[in-house]
Amino acid sequence: MSELLDRNITQRTLRKLDDPKPRRTSRERSARYRAGRAIGYIAMIVFAAALLTPFFWMIMSSLKSANEVFSVPVQWLPETFVWSNYVEIWSRSDIITWIRNTLLVSTVVTLLQVLTGSFAAYGFAKMRFRGRDVLFLLYIGTIAVPWQSYMIPQFILLTEAGLSNSLVAIMLLQAFGAFGVFLMKQYYETIPEELSEAARIDGLSEYSIWRKIMLPLSVPALASLALLTFVNTWNDYLGPLIYLRNPDLWTLQLGLRSFVSNLYDTNYALLFAGLTISIVPIAIIFMLGQRYFVEGIATSGLKG
Amino acid sequence: MATSARTAAPPAARKVPQHRPGSKLRRHNTIVGWSFILPNFLGFGLLTLVPIVVLFYMSFTNWNAFGTADWVGFANYERLLTDGSFRISFLNTLYYTVLHIPLTIVASLGLALLLNNKLRGVAFFRTAAFFPYITSIVAIAVVWNLLFSPDSGPINEVLRAIGITEPPGWLTSPEWAMPAVVIVGTWRDMGYYMVLFLAGLQTVPRELHEAARMDGAGVWQRFVNVTLPCLRPTMFFVTVMLTINSLKIFDLILVMTGGGPGQSTSVISQFIYRRGFEENQFGFASSAAVALFFLCIAVTVVQFLWNKKRSV
Amino acid sequence: MKRTFAAAAGIAATAAIVLAGCSGGTESTDPDGPITLTLSGWSLDTTPEFQALADAFTEQNPDVTVELVGYDPVEYNTLLTADLAARSGPDIITQKEVKFVSTFQEGGQLLDVSDVELPDGIGGASSYEIDGASYAVPYRQDSWVLFYNKDLFDAAGVEQPDGSWTWDDYEEAAAALTTDASKGAYQHTWQSVVQGFANAQTGADILDGDYEHFAPYYERVQAMEEAGSEVAFNTATANQLTYQGEFGTQKAAMLPMGTWYVATLIAQQASGEANDFEWGIAPIPQEDASTAGLENEPVTFGDPTGFGINAGIDENKVEAAKAFLEFAASEEAAQVLAGIGITPALLNEAVVETYFSVDGAPGDDLSKFAFAEHETLPENPTSSRTAAIQGILADMHTAILSGSSSVDDAIAEAQDRVASEVGTD
Repeated sequence: MSELLDRNITQRTLRKLDDPKPRRTSRERSARYRAGRAIGYIAMIVFAAALLTPFFWMIMSSLKSANEVFSVPVQWLPETFVWSNYVEIWSRSDIITWIRNTLLVSTVVTLLQVLTGSFAAYGFAKMRFRGRDVLFLLYIGTIAVPWQSYMIPQFILLTEAGLSNSLVAIMLLQAFGAFGVFLMKQYYETIPEELSEAARIDGLSEYSIWRKIMLPLSVPALASLALLTFVNTWNDYLGPLIYLRNPDLWTLQLGLRSFVSNLYDTNYALLFAGLTISIVPIAIIFMLGQRYFVEGIATSGLKG
Repeated sequence: MATSARTAAPPAARKVPQHRPGSKLRRHNTIVGWSFILPNFLGFGLLTLVPIVVLFYMSFTNWNAFGTADWVGFANYERLLTDGSFRISFLNTLYYTVLHIPLTIVASLGLALLLNNKLRGVAFFRTAAFFPYITSIVAIAVVWNLLFSPDSGPINEVLRAIGITEPPGWLTSPEWAMPAVVIVGTWRDMGYYMVLFLAGLQTVPRELHEAARMDGAGVWQRFVNVTLPCLRPTMFFVTVMLTINSLKIFDLILVMTGGGPGQSTSVISQFIYRRGFEENQFGFASSAAVALFFLCIAVTVVQFLWNKKRSV
Repeated sequence: MKRTFAAAAGIAATAAIVLAGCSGGTESTDPDGPITLTLSGWSLDTTPEFQALADAFTEQNPDVTVELVGYDPVEYNTLLTADLAARSGPDIITQKEVKFVSTFQEGGQLLDVSDVELPDGIGGASSYEIDGASYAVPYRQDSWVLFYNKDLFDAAGVEQPDGSWTWDDYEEAAAALTTDASKGAYQHTWQSVVQGFANAQTGADILDGDYEHFAPYYERVQAMEEAGSEVAFNTATANQLTYQGEFGTQKAAMLPMGTWYVATLIAQQASGEANDFEWGIAPIPQEDASTAGLENEPVTFGDPTGFGINAGIDENKVEAAKAFLEFAASEEAAQVLAGIGITPALLNEAVVETYFSVDGAPGDDLSKFAFAEHETLPENPTSSRTAAIQGILADMHTAILSGSSSVDDAIAEAQDRVASEVGTD
């Protein structure tokens, strides 16, 4: 088995050795290539600026006073930079508690989702048994039901179980979604069956195949699942809103909303300051994690 | 020409091994299969499936969230069929979905192809592409509202400059509000689906590309004959998720238009929310949710069968 | 290998259980000891009224403690519905919106509180009456008035409101007040701003399914937008304008708004979020002269906020809960509320005096008159059909003001929808 993986790695190295780049020797061609690349970069930067515009507006608005945020015509820059919004959030709110709760929930949910999702996906993708497809369709079908419509029955259920008003409720709510199962199943299906078959002949159990072959080969999918789950849990507002009454348990999104609004108005400058703070960790995690999306591991070394 | 690329079937197409017949083995397979699924299924069944079964039951009652729910048979469904708002929401949802799916697939796959390299700075661009998904939806609404402003917005300025004398009123016009929301929806979601496509692109064997290039296949031919077939499992996943998420569209509508002007952008999820939480007709709202469920299932089954047929 | 998985799953499960340690516990009640009542409120940090009432009540009844349960202000009804459905609701249910009262009552969630005595002259009590019984007690009632910026009036040389205005006077003044820097008026995007006045001043009932009476009110708004004397609806929605921003930073000289804004404006002027300018409140303009003028009672609208009792409350707490309701409606409570800038449901001279003694409050007689004297009709009739009808009228509101439908077409459509989707008895 390990032999098999070794072969892949050797192939990867080999491929690196005969990288096509050295073939481009003509100077003309490389100049054109460089010009093209420069234009490409410029286009990308313009595009990125377009994507980041609302974020920019949000940061600028977080530096305005409350009544300055929305106006006609739209103000891009604050008249005077008001840093007090950040100071106020940092000193007057329980933001540390919120961040701690959010981090805890997001981490646990991500771990559970990745673990149980990728495990169940193996059953759906590689095992063959009666009722498998129907069960799978059921999984997907439940994604289709808007959460608001079964929120109350679910809330009653968890309250009866004594779990409402606890972080565990939020974790349980998010951790077992069909999304992860579906994503991982689709990815496993791209992994050649020959690998598993060879491993079976080597005497590996299905569980070992999952752990020793499937997991290492599906790093990009695991990374994207982990990241998207983390971000969605981090940004979730409605779930914590329904379940968490105790301010000590509030998550970042919930705490912020309640800190900045009362019956008739919302202080958007303050809200945007808080949201800016809340986006920073996600952006950092994304920056650090995105290279795993393209962590290619050759799976085609073995031809049937 | 590109025959070698075409004949090289994607690895996904390989069939699951046929185990030798024998009820003992089959039982073993079932047990092992279930043992994989069980940890997830326990949580899923208890926390999602049970409430959804309750929801199905409630759609046959006049439940108002409190007290007892009286059985009313198919009355809610009959009412749904004749309800003008539901019909409008249903059609608007379909409209959104039909526009949103192809646009988002093209945009996100395009982004993924563009950013599937190891050039310097690509980390920044990938992050930038993901930013719309994590930026506050209120900020998104404000900035896009500004761009769409009928009189002074940059979009209409450009349209006028290229000779369109009466550009659309976008969010203020019943005809153009939905396309405007679709544009914002695509803009917001493309980074999300890009992440999924990026992962999928790693399964495309480089050897196949090399071989196709040797055979003289151009960029487009390689995309159609190598990349797309290898991407099929990911494409299936993205299409199904995108379909379901489009049919469930809610938050974007709420901040961009609130369903207006009039009812021109009201959608099914909003219908469910209004009937349920604003009017406490949870039984009736449940029947609309069940209708949405079956709509999604129907579309998914079609995609499922289509995918199966293509991959055989 | 199986062991490895088992270990991993074990870790996850243990983690979840350990983390469960931080969940909130459940309280138990001791029937003989002092009583603790739970009371639902919203934005507790920035909304002092609940704590003020609770403290004042406990001072009188030392053996009863009122414990506040905070909810989100926007999703208050959703959360309360969830809690009540799961039988984990508070003892005293604050009724934030009248349109949900009948739902709670029909769902058997509210105790009959007809035996709680109310002082004479309290406003809004009728909103909580269903079939002759009362299901809640009002403690607060905001009503809609006209805020105006005295500095901008003086600068434009326009005569300030004198209490005799009709909507024609208002429209005329708005045109005269409009300059390059500021508009004559700002009408917020809510449907209430148009429909509330139309209903109250023409004596219409939205439950009857006939909405012709809205037409002149919408035509006036359209005319004012056309004349440029107020920000267009489309602009206000696209830019998510806030009324605090428009009036507080002097972009509009007049603002029809509820009396809750008085306290906000005072606070924002003190903190510098709103500009420093002289302002006052006047009675809202009237449909015709018959209700206008200081010798008449101007007609406006507004819904009360009140307290109801959870039908599932402990038997031994009912007495204390009713005592709290009675207290909340009393003059003593009204004084407490007025002192923190809340408009009590019970208004008399002493209460009005307290209300206007706050630093930064306007001191003129017209403001006091506008605050104290009015016939306030309910915005939302107490009926289980109200919420659905208001939803349809909200669609009509955006259809008309976005310019995507003519006034007559939109009204006709709303009438059709109410008839077919909700029914008109």
